[in-house]
Amino acid sequence: MLKNHERFFTAAGKRLILIVDDELVNREILSFMLQDKFDVITAADGKEALDIIRDKLSLLSLVLTDIMMPEMDGFELLDAMKADASLRRIPVIVLTSDRQAEVKSLSNGASDFIAKPYNQPEVILARIQKTIELAEDQGIIQSTERDPLTGLLNREFFFKYVEQFDLHHPGASMDAVEIDINHFRLINEIYGWAYGDKVLNRMGTTLVKKAQSSGGIVGRKDADKFLFYAPHDTDYEDFLKELTAQMGVGNENARMHIRLGIFSNADAEPHIELRFDRAKMAGDHIKNDYSRQISYYDQELFSKELFDSQLMDDFERGLKEKQFEVWYQPKFDVKGDKPRLSSAECLIRWRHPKFGMVSPGVFIPLFERSGLIQRLDRYVWEEAARQVAQWRDSYGFTLPVSVNVSRIDMYAPDFVEFFTELMKREKLSPETYFIEITESAYTQDSDQMAAMVTALRDQGFKVEMDDFGSGYSSLNMLANLPIDFIKMDMQFVRSMDVNKKSLRMIELILDIASYLQLPVIAEGVETEQQVKVLKELGCYIIQGYYFSKPLPAAEFEKFIKEAKENA
Amino acid sequence: MLSIEALKEYGANTEAGLVRCMGSEAFYLRMVGMILKDPAFDKLFAAVENGDVKEGFEAAHALKGSVGNLELTPILEPVCTLTEIFRAGNPADPALVEEVRTAFERLKSLVEE
Repeated sequence: MLKNHERFFTAAGKRLILIVDDELVNREILSFMLQDKFDVITAADGKEALDIIRDKLSLLSLVLTDIMMPEMDGFELLDAMKADASLRRIPVIVLTSDRQAEVKSLSNGASDFIAKPYNQPEVILARIQKTIELAEDQGIIQSTERDPLTGLLNREFFFKYVEQFDLHHPGASMDAVEIDINHFRLINEIYGWAYGDKVLNRMGTTLVKKAQSSGGIVGRKDADKFLFYAPHDTDYEDFLKELTAQMGVGNENARMHIRLGIFSNADAEPHIELRFDRAKMAGDHIKNDYSRQISYYDQELFSKELFDSQLMDDFERGLKEKQFEVWYQPKFDVKGDKPRLSSAECLIRWRHPKFGMVSPGVFIPLFERSGLIQRLDRYVWEEAARQVAQWRDSYGFTLPVSVNVSRIDMYAPDFVEFFTELMKREKLSPETYFIEITESAYTQDSDQMAAMVTALRDQGFKVEMDDFGSGYSSLNMLANLPIDFIKMDMQFVRSMDVNKKSLRMIELILDIASYLQLPVIAEGVETEQQVKVLKELGCYIIQGYYFSKPLPAAEFEKFIKEAKENA
Repeated sequence: MLSIEALKEYGANTEAGLVRCMGSEAFYLRMVGMILKDPAFDKLFAAVENGDVKEGFEAAHALKGSVGNLELTPILEPVCTLTEIFRAGNPADPALVEEVRTAFERLKSLVEE
């Protein structure tokens, strides 16, 4: 078998790099720069790039991509690569002349960025080399204890040394500290890579000196994150000042914002990594608060950690024991004299055995972060279909329902198939099964969304664009999107009584919708007056407390019976 | 024949441009010739004519990258300003567009000389 570093060479014995840029001159210059050290292929847009990547998958070491391109832009390319497990190993460096795009590309999964106009060729070559090496080294156990740049212990060995330290110093009261330089990548970018290294180096030296005088162990976790296992101290202000003072490194303008996350008396917690996870949690807590630089892990964070992890732990059992309940909120058609039940939105509730009713506002973001949301969504889709089928069997009335879809659901390869199978299993018609997709999902990844929505509609499902007006749909996009309903964002209705502008917005949305021949659903409707106005304006499908709050299935049945009688 | 001297006189930062081209004068001059055929110029002029801010932004932004790499300062400076104007959603400043056109034509005649 090949060793890791021997893989990914072309016949010429060089690593292969793909350059993606719609500007020929940029492609040529970069190719010229790289041609001695690498084999280079080029593409003029994301679509072409994706084809090449799939074709050369086993050989490709790196993708360098521009952001703004026709057909498929750099962000979409990143998304597509992230969504495909086989492409994920290939690192991507983004080529850009925009500061904003740099941060966005990093958070979208790029390994690094190269600014335009291009830097010195040596710098670019070094960054490319480093990115390739980092990617290839992933998964290989580091054979050295020390981080070559700062000379500090690397993360793994740092933890081993902490363990040893505890053995030799039983009873010593210790703090776990994570030191972090805010937005370090920007420092690298503004002042150059070499300067950034100097800063990290200086941080390392300062920490080593500190540990030598006060005792304790220091290590470098990764990038700009350092770890300090320090003898307990009640005041870290001086330490912070000391660090900050050292960080200028000959450039007074480069003000560093250093953050300290501290877990005091960490030695009481036997699990060493958890001690530093908590220090990190404390630091992250003030990440966006520039007025605070020191943060302690405290009771509040502990409770949150405990609560979150308890909810995560209870998820499986919750599913198995059907603690998750699907509730139904009716939508009424008010076009005629008498409101008529037209459908219902399915909403998730968690009846937790210990905490009672847990708000979806609490558990949904948590499950979104951990990826559990996909299973929960599917649970809702299944439960709702099963319930509708049961009502049909007992009352001879099929209630159309709408279910919510998270953005991440749509990346599952069997996304559409899951729905079609479900309809078959419950003998339901897709025309009575509506799928709600929020507007923001469309704007974030419009091509993928449009493809999925089209596939759903091809199978006969109806699609509602949820929270319309809260995102940034362009009119052009809206005209081309395959959807069946527009669901106005709740805020418009909520403020329509007090705010003339909101009312105007509603009129505008209804105008657009009527031009596109799409029915509009209003949610969050609470008063008779609101119903009256909406009806006058031509919005006929109404959801909200005016008719009913969301109800458990058993209580919702009254609406079914009523509808059946009126039918 | 286009020369480094002529480009310098034209106002280009040839030193920086050459560094990016690994010091190869021939390659640098070839790239300067190539950029004259860049469709982004026509796209920019057409967008300005049609008052299309989005197209204008795309074209100016593309040129900012490529012209910037070649350090063709007389084109680069107005293009950078135009990019920001378009980015903010505003219509083009005719004087700036004219500046781009003149600098573009000047470069073209240099190459054709």
